[in-house]
Amino acid sequence: MTYRQARWDEPPIWDLAHAHAPEPAPAIPGVPERFRRREALRWPELSEPTVVRHYTRLSQMNYGIDSGVYPLGSCTMKYNPKVSELLARRPGAAQVHPYQPEATVQGSLEITWRLEKLLAKITGFHEVSLQPAAGAQGEYTSLLMVRAHYRDLGEIDRRTEVLLPDTAHGTNPASAAMAGFVTREIPSKNGCVDLAALRTALSDRTACFMLTNPNTAGLFEGEILEIAEAVHAAGAMLYYDGANLNAILGVTNPGRMGFDIAHLNLHKTFATPHGGGGPGAGVLGAGETLAPYLPVPRVAKVGRKFRLDYDRPKSIGKIKTAYGNFGLDLRAYAYILAHGEEGLRHVARRAVLNSNYLAARLGRRLPRPFRPLVKHEFVLSGTPLKERGVRTLDLAKRLLDEGVHAPTVYFPTLVEEALMIEVPETESKRELDEFAAAVERALDDSPEHLKAAPTSCSVGRIDEVRAAREPVLSWKDLRAASAKVETP
Amino acid sequence: MVRWISDEVGEEAALLEVLGLASVDELFRDVPRKARLGRMGVGPSREEPEVVAEVDKLLERNRPLGRFANFLGGRIACRYSPAAVDAIVSRSEFYTAYTPYQAEASQGMLRTLFEFQSLWVELTGLDVANASLYDGASAAGEALLFCRRLHEGRRFLVPASLPWEERSVLANYASGPGLVVEEIPYDARTGRLDLDFVRQAVSAHDVFGLLADVPNGFGALDEHLFELKSTLGDVPLAVAADPLSLSVLEPPGAYGADVVVGEGQGFGIPPSFGGPLLGLFACRREHARQAPGRIVGATVDAYGRPAYTLTLQTREQHIRRSKATSNICTNESLMALAFVVYASVVGPKGLASLQSSLAEKARTLASALGSVEGIRSPRFEAPYLGEFTIELTRGTAAGFLDRLRRRKVLGGHPLADPRPGTPAGPERVLVAPAESVGEKEIARYAAAAKAWAAAPGGR
Repeated sequence: MTYRQARWDEPPIWDLAHAHAPEPAPAIPGVPERFRRREALRWPELSEPTVVRHYTRLSQMNYGIDSGVYPLGSCTMKYNPKVSELLARRPGAAQVHPYQPEATVQGSLEITWRLEKLLAKITGFHEVSLQPAAGAQGEYTSLLMVRAHYRDLGEIDRRTEVLLPDTAHGTNPASAAMAGFVTREIPSKNGCVDLAALRTALSDRTACFMLTNPNTAGLFEGEILEIAEAVHAAGAMLYYDGANLNAILGVTNPGRMGFDIAHLNLHKTFATPHGGGGPGAGVLGAGETLAPYLPVPRVAKVGRKFRLDYDRPKSIGKIKTAYGNFGLDLRAYAYILAHGEEGLRHVARRAVLNSNYLAARLGRRLPRPFRPLVKHEFVLSGTPLKERGVRTLDLAKRLLDEGVHAPTVYFPTLVEEALMIEVPETESKRELDEFAAAVERALDDSPEHLKAAPTSCSVGRIDEVRAAREPVLSWKDLRAASAKVETP
Repeated sequence: MVRWISDEVGEEAALLEVLGLASVDELFRDVPRKARLGRMGVGPSREEPEVVAEVDKLLERNRPLGRFANFLGGRIACRYSPAAVDAIVSRSEFYTAYTPYQAEASQGMLRTLFEFQSLWVELTGLDVANASLYDGASAAGEALLFCRRLHEGRRFLVPASLPWEERSVLANYASGPGLVVEEIPYDARTGRLDLDFVRQAVSAHDVFGLLADVPNGFGALDEHLFELKSTLGDVPLAVAADPLSLSVLEPPGAYGADVVVGEGQGFGIPPSFGGPLLGLFACRREHARQAPGRIVGATVDAYGRPAYTLTLQTREQHIRRSKATSNICTNESLMALAFVVYASVVGPKGLASLQSSLAEKARTLASALGSVEGIRSPRFEAPYLGEFTIELTRGTAAGFLDRLRRRKVLGGHPLADPRPGTPAGPERVLVAPAESVGEKEIARYAAAAKAWAAAPGGR
């Protein structure tokens, strides 16, 4: 495909205005002089058209799902329904304050309550809380709940370990460490949990085993019931990282597989937009043992009215201001309503079909380190490229020139030169074929071209080493750097 | 079937044929039978108009802020957002993009985040801002952990006036590493922090940081702020600041803050029943490698042209795993976009003038309520900006607010921790005139308060 991203020579916003004239901020009556800002905020005074044109140009130098296929493994980059955007902007949704009296926010409370109930059915859990702002915060909140549970049992001094497979998302060990646990990685066998190694590692020191299923190699952990049994036999909790839930909607669920607690990413499975890196929504599902520890408040239905319930003595308290990311909860609610039972099952089936189709096609060109049957994503190894002096990174950059986004690269780390590819149900066969053709063209291209890529984006290959070695992190840094140049 | 799923005629059969399969079921043969589901009970699918009708029906049960004289604030502000902000946020190149890991294809978001970081640096007077955290409260939690990386100790000091939600979030962030959040008492007349308490705590050598908020949980400005750094010595000072206030107030970097966090929702982000919000974080240059979350840096491309990329990533979870400075991955990038577009459309003068006008509304109302029987207003003798605390000398905050609501006044929110078993404090309400409030709304509030005073009753 011939593709050219916009390439504006657009200066930073501060260069669009006249020079800054330092003057003090206005005085506020009743506020002592020592509080007053001596030099007014340094930021350009611009007309609205100038600002709009600036950010419109920047947006044209950005690639989104509406631009084309976005096959990032473990990210579930699916189409974000436009109707959800419309609904989230209704005054009844957006212009509502969390501290309004309950009687004036019955709609928000009911949507929260209904979404929690729907997600409980989808995940097979006793209770769901929408409070955590993103997946990693959901993981963290879960582990704080696990900690509180073992404190109540008097076992927290002993249960200091969280186990996780070597294919785990980086947030898992990071969340466990933040929650005060020591992490231990369990080596995988053929891309899945090595049950024998897990059994050896489990002990009365284990608080939790964190698992993604299907895992980050795209494989379904077929021994999940045995894993759950082993974890529970050790008196530990089994945690489900819901990043890959899209593959199993309506087929199985974490409750059914024996998990005690889970986070879901509404911004993956339930199609709320990723927003260029956020916001997300990391809702929690918990079984009966851990549900009492969920954050407050909970939404309760009393008669026909909905209210916020703070009377949860075992709750860990709060993890963010107010409740969940309601703007995203509403979008996810609309998504679930539209799909219904059959639609959700269809989502998983088509996503898995897409993934296996593309895996079969690309598997003809690059090695697949694991068994062929995958779920929502699959992993390839770019090692053959090395014979020609190029790497997976070069292939990824070359793909950008084809008008597609690159897959996740160098993860999972147990695969050398890994490419992790996920093509959700919203991609058509034509898109899959075009993406495959783009990969094939890139593989057939010369090493020189691969190393010179990208040439069709708004900038060429970026010097990331320089960015890290000589950090320039703000306008203030740019000013300091130019002052240095002017007065050597 | 839902038209968001690719479902062109014959597609599924064509895909199956290539795989040599008769049915999609075969792709799930590795899911153990005992783990399979029957029905979930989610209900039937709906056409788009039905979805709209159903959601609208539920939303009608809300009474949005526009129907009231609105005095709700706290960390979540009710301000007008110029239409240009949503027009930019609605550009799908921004909102449907993933995290800019492929920098060359994502310069738009990277440059926006660089501008956002620059703005928070200018507002705070510090050196390095990250590309956002979830919200103000979790940003305070990250500030706590950040301070612990800079300094030994077990205790983290916070004002007893800090909103209960933030104290609860902080207690959670402290609990993992076994740290303790301790409340600094305040002067009953002025609400100022007890500096002697801080001095004594610091001399015990187990304090690793202190968080002060500007304005504080009572809406007041505390003159002891300027004494904190000299009292703390080398113990890190964290400040939680309202971004709008920083358009008129000295930047915390000028009085010794080592880290400044805040809630950025008031800049172009609707309240949306509490989320998405925007966590702000900035620190000093020498501590950049201890900062949590993503950071965008400027560099060059292969042709020597300016270019931007995520940088200092060895701090982050996808590289460092359990040794990362934070677990955060997804942040609030799109909200950071709204923040910087809002500030750029409104401009520094516009921000300062908005803060002045909110302060004037607050002053007018505070003094009007001061003459109402049964209300101490403002409760504390301190300078204020756009919000202030009142204390009821009879009745309850809930009863008072309920009476006001019946007159279409959202009179503020109670400061007490609503969890059963927490000590019942004085009946205090934080009052924050929204940007939409004018003389008429202030008069309506005062009249409703007088009516309450005449017959307090209620709950």
